[in-house]
Amino acid sequence: MVPVHQIVAFYMKHNAEPEAVDLLTEVEDIDTLLEHVDSSNYRRMCLYLTTVARYLPDIDAYFLNVAYKTYLEFEEYPSALRIALFLDGLENWEDIFMFCDDLLRRKQLCYILARHGVHIELKKGDVADDVDRLVLQDIINNAKLSEGYLTLARDVDVMDPKSPEDVYKAYLLYGRANAGASFDSARENLAATFVNAFVNAGFGQDMLMTVPSEASSGGSSGNWLFKHKEHAKISAAASLGMIRLWDVDSGLAQIEKYLHSNDNHVIAGALLGVGIVNCSIKHFCEPALGLLGDYIDKEDSTIRIGAIMGLGLAYAGTQNEHVRRTLIPILEDEKAPLDVIAFTAISLGLVFVGSCNVGIADIIVDALSDPSRSALGEPLIRLLLLGLCLLYLGKKDDVDSTGAAKVGFNQKIKKYYDITLLSCAYAGTGDVLKVQHLMGQCEQHLSRDAIHQGAAVLGLAMVAMAEDLGLEMELRSMEHLLQYGEQNIRKAVPLALGLLCISNPKVKVIDTLSRLSHDTDIEVIMSAIIALGLIGAGTNNARIAVMLRGLSSYYCREANLLFCVRIAQGLVHLGKGLLTLAPYHSEHLLLSRTAMAGIITLLHACLDMEATILGKYHYVLYFLVLAMQPRMLMTVDENLKPLLVPVRVGQAVDVVGKAGQPKTITGFQTQLTPVILAAGDRAELATKKYIPLSPILEGFVILKENPDYRDDH
Amino acid sequence: MPTVSVKWQKELFPAVEIDTSQAPYVFKCQLYDLTGVPPERQKIMVKGGLLKDDADWSTLGVKEGQKLMMMGTADEIVKAPEKGPVFVEDLPEEEQVVTMGHTAGLFNLGNTCYMNSTIQCLHSVPELKSTLIKYPQSGRSNDLDQSSHLLTVATRDLFNELDRNVKPVAPMQFWMVLRKKYPQFGQLHNGSFMQQDAEECWTQLLYTLSQSLRSSSSSENPDTVKALFGIELVSRVHCEESGEESSEAESVYALKCHISHEVNHLHEGLKHGLKSELEKASPSLGRSAIYLKDSRINGLPRYLTIQFVRFFWKRESNQKAKILRKVDYPLELDVYDLCSEDLRKQLEAPRQVCTLPSALMNLSCSLYFIGHLPFLFAWSFQFQHPNYKILRDEEGRKLGLKTSDKSSGSMDTAVKKACCRGIIKWRWRII
Repeated sequence: MVPVHQIVAFYMKHNAEPEAVDLLTEVEDIDTLLEHVDSSNYRRMCLYLTTVARYLPDIDAYFLNVAYKTYLEFEEYPSALRIALFLDGLENWEDIFMFCDDLLRRKQLCYILARHGVHIELKKGDVADDVDRLVLQDIINNAKLSEGYLTLARDVDVMDPKSPEDVYKAYLLYGRANAGASFDSARENLAATFVNAFVNAGFGQDMLMTVPSEASSGGSSGNWLFKHKEHAKISAAASLGMIRLWDVDSGLAQIEKYLHSNDNHVIAGALLGVGIVNCSIKHFCEPALGLLGDYIDKEDSTIRIGAIMGLGLAYAGTQNEHVRRTLIPILEDEKAPLDVIAFTAISLGLVFVGSCNVGIADIIVDALSDPSRSALGEPLIRLLLLGLCLLYLGKKDDVDSTGAAKVGFNQKIKKYYDITLLSCAYAGTGDVLKVQHLMGQCEQHLSRDAIHQGAAVLGLAMVAMAEDLGLEMELRSMEHLLQYGEQNIRKAVPLALGLLCISNPKVKVIDTLSRLSHDTDIEVIMSAIIALGLIGAGTNNARIAVMLRGLSSYYCREANLLFCVRIAQGLVHLGKGLLTLAPYHSEHLLLSRTAMAGIITLLHACLDMEATILGKYHYVLYFLVLAMQPRMLMTVDENLKPLLVPVRVGQAVDVVGKAGQPKTITGFQTQLTPVILAAGDRAELATKKYIPLSPILEGFVILKENPDYRDDH
Repeated sequence: MPTVSVKWQKELFPAVEIDTSQAPYVFKCQLYDLTGVPPERQKIMVKGGLLKDDADWSTLGVKEGQKLMMMGTADEIVKAPEKGPVFVEDLPEEEQVVTMGHTAGLFNLGNTCYMNSTIQCLHSVPELKSTLIKYPQSGRSNDLDQSSHLLTVATRDLFNELDRNVKPVAPMQFWMVLRKKYPQFGQLHNGSFMQQDAEECWTQLLYTLSQSLRSSSSSENPDTVKALFGIELVSRVHCEESGEESSEAESVYALKCHISHEVNHLHEGLKHGLKSELEKASPSLGRSAIYLKDSRINGLPRYLTIQFVRFFWKRESNQKAKILRKVDYPLELDVYDLCSEDLRKQLEAPRQVCTLPSALMNLSCSLYFIGHLPFLFAWSFQFQHPNYKILRDEEGRKLGLKTSDKSSGSMDTAVKKACCRGIIKWRWRII
């Protein structure tokens, strides 16, 4: 081994870190690196290690641990935290906190935790000072998310509310008939509600629901709400939550009055709205639990569903014990209707996402093995199964030991379950073997009711979306599936494409989806249209917008397709272009589980659109709220107040393994923060006056003044 | 007596004393004074739950300085309006048609796209519809054969049905009668009905309608079809060899757009189509000679029909071939330079008055789908010309605009797809 050590030492001293890592990988002695690392080479070495680790089947944790230790040693705590989060080693965060005793840096760590959707209760022992602890806890709780988002909105001057008509831009269509204005179409109104909710998400004002009430009649908001039929009122009332997204204090005040309505649908919608407002925010009073808990046991199943789904959204990823205790009895109730059970399972899946909680799993399995419920004819069984699988999201091999409880399922359910479980467990890992396995499921030509194939296609996207190479390969193989697959595969392919490129409109994918939106099979068309919305979500992409506008006139007589087009139009203008649905953050390294869970719940529901989105469960669209995040870079000073500094924003360049200090972005523009980052964009500070506390400029970044800075002028 | 702070919306009331010996209702009354929210509308969050009116403070464990959250507003509760809105979806189908502003589509009965597009095209001519409605069910005049009468009746019924429905209509009856009258449309190939030429169907149907509508006594206009679609042509027939020249007038129902190598635009094709060569006996030469026929439009109809001559007889292989050349067409067609001197003089005045013609175009075309390669073969246009009416009408411009507004409904894309047997999938649409 002596020559190896000598060679490695030489490599590490002479800017050849990748070679050193490669060599040590060959001899399986990667720990040796730690002996040779110094302040001049640790960055390049760690970058290479983290990138390579993705392509190694089993020892990646081992690799990353080396990087983790190195980062700790050189006090790069944000990077260390990222790796800890990537390894799903939440236990490590306390170590990092302990090492990092600088308050400002801790704040930055908390921002990263908050973006990842990790909810941690800071204890007295962690932070000595009470005031500091509250500040840190506030950051983790995302309490200031709404504020930051609105600062960004004011900065780019998009505060004015937009109406659905501003999105449809029907006046641009050639020769569109304007007939039909005399009557309201319930379908169109529902679509307008969703569009309105998506477009004005988080802005606190819109032109349909929050119009200041004139006189005493409850104002026009009430009027708009009652321009919906029955179950559509659920989505309409819940849209208020979307408009007030993240703004718990004033949002709840506005929604609360709807709870006094005498219409069950409105109450259900208001409950759901409460959940949406609280999504990814943790409030010190736990208002969601307080408000929703009372409605869980109501007679009316719509109210129950509203409350259950609201809880799921508000507490996603928190593993909240109260929520568990509230929801479990519903699953044990034999008389509960199937839709209530299904939404309970999903909500539990969301709250305990990736927890491998065996207790919950067992109870869901019990609920499933009830023979009256296990007939898969009912599309909601999908959601039940998915709720179960979400418990294992991203847990890889941990599934094999815990997920053995599958007794009593019939063949069809079992297959669907197996595939979904596998794809959930390996979601975001890029595991090639699993991709092959899922691909194998798709190659058989089976009849229409082999629904597990649709799940397999979605699974392919879930597994392969981890990194760019795998993503490219997957896009290629989707093309094959389209050509040779049966109908139940073909209809899932657009959805899978939508997941692979979510909020990242690649021209090639747009073209494929545009082609599929004129397919002969109506289900493929619907999926393709929704997928167009997903890949363009929050980008205001003009190409997709024009395409959808064309489709809206092309399909103006097909109510179902038109509804899908409207939803897609709303998604493309999500948050007026300030939001993203991408579950990945930190330069495509970290996968937010709650975001992923929200998206795949919607996609699984979309495998049977007729029964969900186009039926009476259209509010499953609100699961997307879990993935909504501002795609911004907000720089703040030491007091967490917004700080305007020039930054260069450009396309990210892959610098892994490159010698020297290469430029990390290309084709950049210099702008003043806060700025909006597109998919594949990277930012860097254009001034030496400040030092960012996080190496990756995304979301909230704290800037510290550079003590060595000299003003030239 | 612990003091707590209460957060209400964006406001914070820093020091509110709780009298723990009294029921929480008293506390709510305290807050009523502060916020104006009646106690029964107040919702107070005590970590993880709501404060009940009859709860016991001691079990709640409220600490000194704790932050409570109150929800609730004094706003009026949202009530449903007494009269709910009427939704299109709830209307009976007849009324839905009115609100939709367009009519139903047609089912493809198996290679019947040619027929469907013809019907859709004719259906969008309101004058023809109104004349057809008056056509009597039984009153067949003697010079009309039974099958023509039946076909006219079937057309009328089908038009009515299209107007009444929102969902696609299956033109079964019409198809049967059409096959009876024109057996060539019933040709079979491998057990299924063959593809047919839409132009042929158009010509035949129009001919039948012109026959039956002329003879029907109730019609005020002696020849509706001719008034709507007939094009007056004057032709100069000239023989190069002998120098003979004569002129003749005729009436046709369609202009032909010939497609040759140099034709890129509809206008060029039309010019081509108006010139022809014919061989006939020359009285001065005493044998047959080549005559050149040069036609001009002498009278424009309300709807101008143009046929794209896309079929071509390949002599070498004795096969019909299709010309796939792309021919551009304008959204407004100006045929001024195809008109005769007389008509030009008539048209001059309105052309100066208004920059019309805002011609309505009913383009009926078939989108032919093989895999994902669409290509277009359009076979007929109709242009509504701002014809004589404008001459008479002072407000020609207004009328012209009105016409185009009203017609926009029919320009809507109608999509109906259906599968033919085999691998070829058809879609057709009417713009």
